[in-house]
Amino acid sequence: MGKVARQVVEQAGVNVDVLLDKLVRAAGAEFTTFYYYTILRVNSIGFEGEGLKEIIEDARIEDRNHFEALTPRIYELGGALPRDIRAFADIAGCPDAYLPENPQDSKAMLAVLVEAERCAIRTYTEICNMTFGKDHRTYDMALAILHEEVEHEAWFSEYLNEGPSGHFRRGAPGASPYVRRFMTADFS
Amino acid sequence: MGFRRICRAEEVPPGRTKFACIDGRPVILANYAGSVYALNGICNHQYKSLEGAHLWDHLLDCPWHHFQYDVRTGENHFPKNVYPKDVPRLQEQVKPLDTYPVEIREGEVWANLDSA
Repeated sequence: MGKVARQVVEQAGVNVDVLLDKLVRAAGAEFTTFYYYTILRVNSIGFEGEGLKEIIEDARIEDRNHFEALTPRIYELGGALPRDIRAFADIAGCPDAYLPENPQDSKAMLAVLVEAERCAIRTYTEICNMTFGKDHRTYDMALAILHEEVEHEAWFSEYLNEGPSGHFRRGAPGASPYVRRFMTADFS
Repeated sequence: MGFRRICRAEEVPPGRTKFACIDGRPVILANYAGSVYALNGICNHQYKSLEGAHLWDHLLDCPWHHFQYDVRTGENHFPKNVYPKDVPRLQEQVKPLDTYPVEIREGEVWANLDSA
């Protein structure tokens, strides 16, 4: 734990225990979503599915990156991930992104994906609102994650004919253009 | 016992929620488009309190796992709209919230908590 790192956040008026609860739940949601998106990507096949596969893969890897970025901040503030991964999954801050009954139904698949991203957007908006002007480091990181979650939603919305995303493509799968500066393990 | 007083109407402005415990019963109020709705204050997912829930249009958003309920009917919207129907355990988690009739009496919110 960073003693002063926590103290300055507390003195700015943030309830650090509440913030930690939100960060651990967010990390749980990223971790479980990485798992479920793996299943969704594997099942994204056929004429329609093949087109989706690339963006599912980008979102899948970037969600794992979000987990990687969140974890150090949780420990810096004096928190911890649950010892039991089952407990971790149970407290995940968003519902599980299950494979639909009919994996060939691209619209059902897209509904799962877009709703998962919308839940993530709400999660990080709450964390940004809670930390803005008070906990600069957590805010900066949560905002970076929020940027990517908003882009993910827009990609999937585009497939649902809700309008263009305005984006092109990642340079490499799961490039995390906003979050990569918080990654210490995978990116140089 | 019929209707019980919950709070002053000004404590639930449009777009906001208010949690209360009335005789030990948790209730959440939500003001959607100027109308106040009253629902059971416990989420049916993991039976946690809905205190602090946000309102997004007509959807009440549970602060724990973001399960969402239509304040007008109590029906779960998300994740019911994406959960596979062939998994009974998941369907148990998306049961509707009980809803209670609301009356505004002289600037106070009253709800009939015995009606559900």
